[in-house]
Amino acid sequence: MRSASESTGSLLSRYSPYGFDEMFSATGTVRPSYAPLQQRLLHLTSAELERRHRIADLTMQRQGITFTVYGRNKGVERIMPFDPIPRIIPADEWDLIDRGLKQRVRALNLFVHDIYHQRQILKDGVVPTELVLGASGYRRELHGIDVARDIYIHISGIDLIRDEHGKYLVLEDNCRTPSGVSYVLKNRQVMKEVFPLLFQQYDVLPIDDYASNLRSMLRYVAPGGVQDPTIVVLSPGVYNSAYYEHSFLARQMGVELVEGRDLVFDGGQIAMRTTRGLQRIDVIYRRVDDDFLDPLAFRRDSQLGVAGLLGAYRSGQVTLVNGVGTGVCDDKGIYPFVPDIIRYYLGEDAILPNVETFRPLIPAHRQHILSNLDKLVVKAVDGSGGYGMLIGPASTAPQREEFAAKIKANPRGYIAQPTITLSSHPTFIGEHLEGRHIDLRPFVLYGEEIKILPGGLTRVALPRGSLVVNSSQGGGSKDTWVLGRGGST
Amino acid sequence: MLSRVAENLFWISRYVERAENLARVLNDAFHLELDAVGLHGGDSDVKGPRDQVLNVLAGQDRFELTWDPRESEGMLTNLTFDSTRSHSLLSMISRARENARATQDTLSPESWSQLNQLYLALTRSKSRKQFEASPYRFYDRVKRSCILFHALVDSTMPRNEAFYFLEVGRFIERIDMISRVLNVWFSAAGEGEKTAEHSLRLVYWTGLLRSCSAYEAYLKRYHERLDAESIVQYLVLDLDFPRSMRFCVGRCLESLRGITGGAGQRTGTEAERRLGRLESELRYADIHEVFARGLPNFLSGVQDTCAKIVEEMQRAYFLT
Repeated sequence: MRSASESTGSLLSRYSPYGFDEMFSATGTVRPSYAPLQQRLLHLTSAELERRHRIADLTMQRQGITFTVYGRNKGVERIMPFDPIPRIIPADEWDLIDRGLKQRVRALNLFVHDIYHQRQILKDGVVPTELVLGASGYRRELHGIDVARDIYIHISGIDLIRDEHGKYLVLEDNCRTPSGVSYVLKNRQVMKEVFPLLFQQYDVLPIDDYASNLRSMLRYVAPGGVQDPTIVVLSPGVYNSAYYEHSFLARQMGVELVEGRDLVFDGGQIAMRTTRGLQRIDVIYRRVDDDFLDPLAFRRDSQLGVAGLLGAYRSGQVTLVNGVGTGVCDDKGIYPFVPDIIRYYLGEDAILPNVETFRPLIPAHRQHILSNLDKLVVKAVDGSGGYGMLIGPASTAPQREEFAAKIKANPRGYIAQPTITLSSHPTFIGEHLEGRHIDLRPFVLYGEEIKILPGGLTRVALPRGSLVVNSSQGGGSKDTWVLGRGGST
Repeated sequence: MLSRVAENLFWISRYVERAENLARVLNDAFHLELDAVGLHGGDSDVKGPRDQVLNVLAGQDRFELTWDPRESEGMLTNLTFDSTRSHSLLSMISRARENARATQDTLSPESWSQLNQLYLALTRSKSRKQFEASPYRFYDRVKRSCILFHALVDSTMPRNEAFYFLEVGRFIERIDMISRVLNVWFSAAGEGEKTAEHSLRLVYWTGLLRSCSAYEAYLKRYHERLDAESIVQYLVLDLDFPRSMRFCVGRCLESLRGITGGAGQRTGTEAERRLGRLESELRYADIHEVFARGLPNFLSGVQDTCAKIVEEMQRAYFLT
């Protein structure tokens, strides 16, 4: 039996911040935005936190808020580990992120439009032509095709990290079918149910209008002349790792969740098979990759798409969200040029800087990469989800040799970045709070205007010292609070 | 509504209803076996209630008797947990849940969560221990969970196509099950009529009524009179009892009309026409007539109609 004095504050009693800590400054004092939270935590015992934590897990399990992990025989359904200590972003920091993301996505969208039309940026030599036309996400079938409202990147998730000084950097752009937004919304809901006390004294910006914003955006980009468009969400099906999210978003928007087999190309248009016959579809929020959309145009073995879909898209009969071919702008080979892309189209400096990146195609860079493999992070340009990466400081000699050979054989296929010690955040581990590394994926909607969901998905690397936050690699998530101008009250 | 989703919904509630009925039937088998063994003195050549259960299930799909029927416990465990058998309770709930997972956006969150919880409970390792500790309580819990699913559908879903497809699946399954149960029990009771004594017959009739949750309701209507005609009258022709065939046919027909949107003026689909005919047959049937025609004939006619209705629904709604 513990005495009251011992148990009070025991959650944080052994806490030692390392790297840039979100809650405590280098001198160990609590940052102002976290002070009310710290007060709350002082009055919470670890047993109580553990009890509520378990309720949160159970809630998610019962509602089937799961993702599927591949690799084992059939795929295992898991809940994403949920950490109950919220991440708090003060208003001024969020203001910077908000402006930076809007700028970045606007420029990337102009870039995609340019690539599929005049290609002025290539003619002006700002981005090497061979990098763009050789990118795995480039779709020559779309050249010269106009899309509704000239918007390609309707939905994006831009991964941000903070370096050792707390500076926000863009780590990666996800402009195809980024996932995770359902966890953002569910985390908030569960947090409110299970830890209502923590919300007191905070003015947290609400996020519950995401689905209605998403729907308005989808309506806005309907083919010209369609007044009341029929919108659907296209999912690869129940075995896809993000299936929960697809069904969640369809439900929240009140639209049908369809699979490829529900759709048919009919007289130049796309229709779905319903109990009352075929019904025309105008806008498809597709969560199927470009390659699988249409077996006539792309992969012939695809069972997930609809034969004829690309034809209907090209002729403007149906809008696809995101547009086809946006992979050309979130390619890791293009990433180093994004600040130049922003300057080229908008005449502005990037508000949110990139992580310094080395490209093996440049001889001096290649030399640097090969002699510093133990310090760098090497990424395959077409890899995602934490697959196909080398984290130098955590690697073995044979792994480094393997990557050196790969880089020499295919310099176009890799980039390298210095290992950045992500910021860390108090996280509930066992009976105490310990620092764990986190990143942030805010979600950007591009419709009549660009709207950013306040906060986003904070992913946390649960093993001590790990820098890999991907859910497929054992990462968890936190609720993310963006404070209003009032901050904490 | 999407054809694929409509078909999914139909099967979700059908599987849940079937699982509930299986839980009932297995539970009764377990209990009756104890009574019956006492009555026929443990003579294993006499067909016990356990065999009835197997016969009821045998009618469904392709049921294989691959275990020693004398091992009652193994049989119960298999029919409950063996995920390689398509008839086990676990398989049915897994299929219903898998369909529901693919249709989450159409079900209400409450009803999806209920089915998901039932599935999680059955697949947890604790569930076998609970089963071994008390099969009776275990089956009762499953039964209640299934009923709760339907209740949540009923009280949280708007009366739209989705709801009506769920209803049709549920009541078609129930009609089908009632006819199977009656068929098996009456053919067994027919044999029993000649040889066995009154007390054994009583055990059978009571068991039949219990497996339809009808025992007490029946007694309130017919008091102590336990005879074949009254029982069939009650389980087939009664208008008010929720597990009587006529009641289920009525609900099924209402839901089919809900799907077509017609209020009876139009003939609607072929499925609606067939079900309508069965409904009026039950409405105007006389119990003596049913027995004169032969109960087995009558019941197999009902099963045919059910099968035809499902075929028609396939054609009209699922394969567009």
